Amino acid sequence: MENSNRKRQSLFTRLMNPKYVMVYATIAIFLIIYIFGAIQYGDKGFTSLRTLVISMFTENAYYGISAVGMTMVLITGGIDLSVGAVSSLTGMIIAYGTARLGIHPLVCLLFAFVIGIGLGAIMGAGIQFLNVPPFIMTLTGMFLTRGCCSLISRESIEIQSDLIDALANFKIYIMWWNSDGEWAKIKPVCYINFNLILFIIMIIVGTILLQKTRFGRNVYAVGGNEQSAKLMGLPVARTKILVYAFNGFCSVLAGFAYTIYVKSGWNLALSGGELEVITCAVIGGTLMTGGVGYMVGTLFGVLLKSAIPALITFNGNLLSWWGKIATGALLLLFIFIQRIVVLYSARKKQK
Amino acid sequence: MSDEIILEMKQIEMQFPAVKALDKVDFTLRRGEVHSLLGENGAGKSTLIKCLTGVNHKTGGQIILEGQEISPTNPQHAMELGISTVFQEINLCPNLTVAENIFIGRQPMKHGQINWKEINRRADELMARFHLDIDVTRPLSMFSTAIQQMVSIARAVDVQAKILILDEPTSSLDDNEVKLLFDVMRELKASGMGIIFITHFLDQIYEISDRMTILRNGHLVGAYGINELTKVELVTEMIGKDIDVIFNLKRAEVGEKDPNMLEADHIGVPGKVEDISLDIKKGELLGFAGLLGSGRTETAEMLFGAEKISKGEIRLNGQKVNFRQPHDAIMKKVAFCPEDRKRDGIIGDLSIRENIALAVQARRGFMRPMSRQEQDELADKYIKALGIKTPSAEKKIAELSGGNQQKVILARWMATQPDVLILDEPTRGIDVGAKAEIQRLMLEMCGDGVSVVFISSELDEIIRCSNRIVIMRDGKKVAEVDGATCTQQDILNIIAEGAKAAEEVEA
Repeated sequence: MENSNRKRQSLFTRLMNPKYVMVYATIAIFLIIYIFGAIQYGDKGFTSLRTLVISMFTENAYYGISAVGMTMVLITGGIDLSVGAVSSLTGMIIAYGTARLGIHPLVCLLFAFVIGIGLGAIMGAGIQFLNVPPFIMTLTGMFLTRGCCSLISRESIEIQSDLIDALANFKIYIMWWNSDGEWAKIKPVCYINFNLILFIIMIIVGTILLQKTRFGRNVYAVGGNEQSAKLMGLPVARTKILVYAFNGFCSVLAGFAYTIYVKSGWNLALSGGELEVITCAVIGGTLMTGGVGYMVGTLFGVLLKSAIPALITFNGNLLSWWGKIATGALLLLFIFIQRIVVLYSARKKQK
Repeated sequence: MSDEIILEMKQIEMQFPAVKALDKVDFTLRRGEVHSLLGENGAGKSTLIKCLTGVNHKTGGQIILEGQEISPTNPQHAMELGISTVFQEINLCPNLTVAENIFIGRQPMKHGQINWKEINRRADELMARFHLDIDVTRPLSMFSTAIQQMVSIARAVDVQAKILILDEPTSSLDDNEVKLLFDVMRELKASGMGIIFITHFLDQIYEISDRMTILRNGHLVGAYGINELTKVELVTEMIGKDIDVIFNLKRAEVGEKDPNMLEADHIGVPGKVEDISLDIKKGELLGFAGLLGSGRTETAEMLFGAEKISKGEIRLNGQKVNFRQPHDAIMKKVAFCPEDRKRDGIIGDLSIRENIALAVQARRGFMRPMSRQEQDELADKYIKALGIKTPSAEKKIAELSGGNQQKVILARWMATQPDVLILDEPTRGIDVGAKAEIQRLMLEMCGDGVSVVFISSELDEIIRCSNRIVIMRDGKKVAEVDGATCTQQDILNIIAEGAKAAEEVEA
């Protein structure tokens, strides 16, 4: 037994555990694209910290925040199509509340949380107790929520709020000692904003939830084999409902981040956003059949997905639609990798 | 084994809406014994276990665990009471690590967080107790079924179980793995745990058990010490003696010169059935005997293309055939009536006419639909010929009695005018009169030159109808006997003793 203990203590063997293979695939493909970009457009500034932090991270932070919740839903073997609409509704509530009713934005946000989490819990309960497929249940949620957005207003509402302005303008500049020996902003200017901080915090929260709590482990168990999880005495119903509720929470938070980013509410905002979010999670190595997925993967999934538009921007000659095509190709590649991994491990077991 | 009784189930009754699955069954388990629970499928073993583990709720009787009456409400509750179950299918999560599968739901915590180090350390200890040297941080899916089975036992045992129920744990294990499992069982037994062991491998029962309880049709047959019954007596008790209908049936007449219709040459599917060779002459009735799970159905499915053979070959009329799917077999005039007619045979919402026309239509292909008139004629012909009791051919088949449903399925395949007809338990669950009629129909078909393969658990009807009888045991063909000369006792001996006895009969 000592022998196997020693085996495990080695960091290398621990990292070589096959359960991480999907995450490694994500990181590897991201590195390949990044290095390609560096070689092609390095002189134009592709490798600058600004490109990495602002173009790839910050501008996609709201997708990332939502992807944290989506990753969890996908791990249970479910899906949630309502996230884009819920984010949009959050923006509408904040915009309408502050601009038309004069309510403090935080009160509006609180209200949005109640709605988002409540809707998530209701959808989770429907999936669990009425046995409605997640796709159908959350599609219903999506239409309902999107309809409510238009009910509030069919026009874009601009937000004028000191708090939102302050959060939008909040920037931590990245500084360094320049060649003159002075403490100065790096060039090109690069900063970390509120949304990025929120995203990073949510990734950490998600990781802790998934890896360090019983709830998180139950999420994996439900996704691995729901019937078994039930027979092992795990609280399957509670876990599933909580996962959808947590996803509702993430959607609202993502909507808040998006609202800060655009400083307005629009009933058609983030149409199709749910698909972007699912893409981030899937190319981050989360198995759509459930049971496998890591927050670190999702973090790289967001990076990988945003690296493509960045590349196209740097090229300058390509139409932005190429971004969609490249994303589609990437998604396909990942689904292939997933199938191959599953088939390979099945074959290995037979031997 | 001590004499201290750990579990007592008294006069357990289980009434489902339509059937009484258990009728006043008693069962006692002592501390530190392995107690086998025996009976054919449907005898009530599973129901008894489900009452004990809280999956079903008994409708009568008492369960007394260590002197206190209990009534488990669900498996989780039963587990808390100290009753753990390991099922045949592995109920673990393949995506989680070995260690986590053992501890999920009751992970040791430290500062409000899961203490992974402790989980892995304790899992290592447990696995060492089971003599397994594996890395418990690897996902469960990477390990063989045997190891997964051990892990589920480890999980069951580690929750301070007083009683461990093993429901067919050995059916997917090879000999070495079974030995490993038995070692573990002996250790658990020595530590004072009571083990209920369910299996259909008779040898294993005699190897590991201290006592056994036999059920039949929801009734208790008896509880015996392992040395009180021989294997033959055991099999007799399990199957029971059916009411013998004296019915004047004449065996099909087959001469030595009649050509072989179907030949199977060393066919097999790994893990299910091995190396079966058999042949059926034109117009012959070949019986398949053996306990449930002995590979009878799998063999039939191989002949029909429902189970893909991985070795050997099948010849029809002397020509090699390759059935990749049932449709191929249907096209070559091979027909198959499956065992579970409710699940695989009838289509409940369709009428009798449609159910009969189904197979004929399937063979013609959808490009040549049968006219309504053709269907009506076909249905009327067989309703009359088989004596199907129904007011009209348009009645839904689900509304017929079991015996009449079986006749409709028989009609479906007779209508295709097959050369080979395989019938898997065609007489199960139907009354005695209908049984005799089905037997008569089979033999009539033989007279018309159809080769019939007849699978049944009831030895008397196999002996009464078959020209030759193939005896299966543990996925192997162990003997082939002549239907006219053998007795029920001969077959029981062969089933109980396996290959050894088979040699004697042949000699």
